Amino acid sequence: MRHVIIGVGAAGISAAGTIRQNDPAADIIMISKDEFVHSRCMLHRYLSHERDEKALSFVPEDYFETNRIYWIKGRSAEKIDTKQKEVLLDGGERIAYDKLLIATGAKSFLPPVGQMRRAKNVFGLRDLSDAQAIDRMSHNAKQILIVGSGLVGMDAAYAFLERGFQVSVVEMADRILPIQLDETAGKAYQQLFEKAGCRFILGRKASETVLDDDDMLKAVILDDGTRVECDLAVVAAGVRAAIECAADSTVQSERFINVNERLQTSDPDVFAAGDVAGLSGIWPNAQKQGQIAGWNMCGIQMNYVDTYAMKNTMNFYGLTTLSLGRGAVIEGDQFVICEDSRNYKRAIIRDGKLDSILLQGDISYSGIYQYLIKNQIVLGEKAERIFDVSFADYFDIGPDGQYCYKIF
Amino acid sequence: MKRIMIDETKCDGCRNCELACMQAHRSTPGSIYDLDLTSRENESRNHIVSLQDGSYRPIFCRHCDQPECVMSCMSGALKKDPDTGLVLYDGEKCGSCFMCVMNCPYGVLRPDRTRTRVLKCDFCTSAGTEPSCVGACPRQAIYLEEVIG
Ligand SMILES: Cc1cc2nc3c(=O)[nH]c(=O)nc-3n(C[C@H](O)[C@H](O)[C@H](O)COP(=O)(O)OP(=O)(O)OC[C@H]3O[C@@H](n4cnc5c(N)ncnc54)[C@H](O)[C@@H]3O)c2cc1C
Ligand code: SF4
Ligand code: SF4
Repeated sequence: MRHVIIGVGAAGISAAGTIRQNDPAADIIMISKDEFVHSRCMLHRYLSHERDEKALSFVPEDYFETNRIYWIKGRSAEKIDTKQKEVLLDGGERIAYDKLLIATGAKSFLPPVGQMRRAKNVFGLRDLSDAQAIDRMSHNAKQILIVGSGLVGMDAAYAFLERGFQVSVVEMADRILPIQLDETAGKAYQQLFEKAGCRFILGRKASETVLDDDDMLKAVILDDGTRVECDLAVVAAGVRAAIECAADSTVQSERFINVNERLQTSDPDVFAAGDVAGLSGIWPNAQKQGQIAGWNMCGIQMNYVDTYAMKNTMNFYGLTTLSLGRGAVIEGDQFVICEDSRNYKRAIIRDGKLDSILLQGDISYSGIYQYLIKNQIVLGEKAERIFDVSFADYFDIGPDGQYCYKIF
Repeated sequence: MKRIMIDETKCDGCRNCELACMQAHRSTPGSIYDLDLTSRENESRNHIVSLQDGSYRPIFCRHCDQPECVMSCMSGALKKDPDTGLVLYDGEKCGSCFMCVMNCPYGVLRPDRTRTRVLKCDFCTSAGTEPSCVGACPRQAIYLEEVIG
């Protein structure tokens, strides 16, 4: 059996490991544009010069040898021929497969604002190659513009501040990290970033660009006419699933590659996992999907059931935050806030069940909240002491010594 | 694999296991008699929760068969050792994102004082002994057992 995996990100690597575990004799071939296996969640540590390419890897150095994987790196899969069961590479080679996994992730989206897409010094931040290009160009830069204050934008801002650049962040919403945090929690980070020298321009959109003769972005004009000078810009305004390789094939896709609960596409020998499948945009889910796809590719039937994806943690300047759920209050919700000098906690309880929780400061032992939310556990009297609830309240142990939840 | 089994009905809440864990992972040399209990340098990997009815629940890493913490780790710092079954943590690799804290369904994990590392049971592999907590329990509420994992 020959398994071919496109992508060496969270989903691809996790699938490869799973396949190797379950089928010691299988041929495994991986294809990636990436030259280095790297964790995208650590790209800011590369930009800040805290880690080099190798230190971004999330697998051991001998991963491909020990798992007997043939890795075709630095190459792009251009097309999938489901009839011949072959993947076409950018150089024209054809790689035959019995089972194929598309784990191509996503790519940064540059909004069509002014000449943003033409400018040579405007970047997305998704791949190590982006970070490398940004780093090379940043040597002549002083002022950095970040468009978007989501997690990727704030990662980039953090990295440039660490290196002593002047950083301005433009955000459409009236607060930073608007999807993950509420106003209070966002403010806490805003202050820490401002203390590090960051300038925020909130509630504003970039609407025009000023390029010089060499197609370098010199400034951005905001919707209120303000001009923000810059020598380099990172646009963190969202991503699009990397579906191109499947575009002209029988594998069905719309914005994402369509999959069933076994992560199988419209072609039974082709699977998709990770950001490209559109079920999530975070690391843990991509790894889990890779695992599920890997099992199914080996013929072990497994459904992807742990689909909850509205979860995030962040850690800037030693301030940690966990955020689960949408965080939007509707009528009838119980809204609980607990605050002291070091912590801010906010829970939304809907119909007696936890809907969202945000913990900023101490996030110790907070793993249980995800369980309570995704399994929609009725809280009962525990709603009154939601921030003190722990696994001890649901404590049970199986015969093999593993924990399980006892729900009353 | 070996697992630290728990009989919570035997737990008296003496917290000797927490002390033993702190001692096993302290950064300075010395005996348990000079262990600084209030220093956050010596934080325990396990903990005991007392319930309102006066009973206790030991919260110890299970070194799960399908560890959610490993599934969520974006740096490769958390790995399940295929030979020993232990879920081990490499602080050098850790990217301090704390996704693992959020994803351990049993609320075992937490960030350390510096918020750069995770406090995670290593089965006393770093101390080079059998799990210290087990030896310290006067009631055999925790004990080692070979399980299929
Ligand atoms: C800066 C940044 C910070 C992040 N921080 C966090 C965080 O803190 N927590 C979190 O949970 N998530 C975070 N994420 C999201 C997380 O990185 C993704 O959800 C995860 O990487 C998805 O994994 P994947 O395997 O689906 O795709 P990816 O990891 O993107 O991997 C895609 C792979 O496919 C390859 N590829 C793509 N197209 C082709 C092609 N045509 N031919 C060959 N190879 C191809 C790429 O080279 C790459 O190897 C962050 C993302 C970014 C960009
Ligand atoms: S930290 Fe939690 S999820 Fe990870 S092995 Fe221990 S008990 Fe299991
Ligand atoms: S905090 Fe460290 S060990 Fe935990 S998930 Fe992040 S990188 Fe992995």
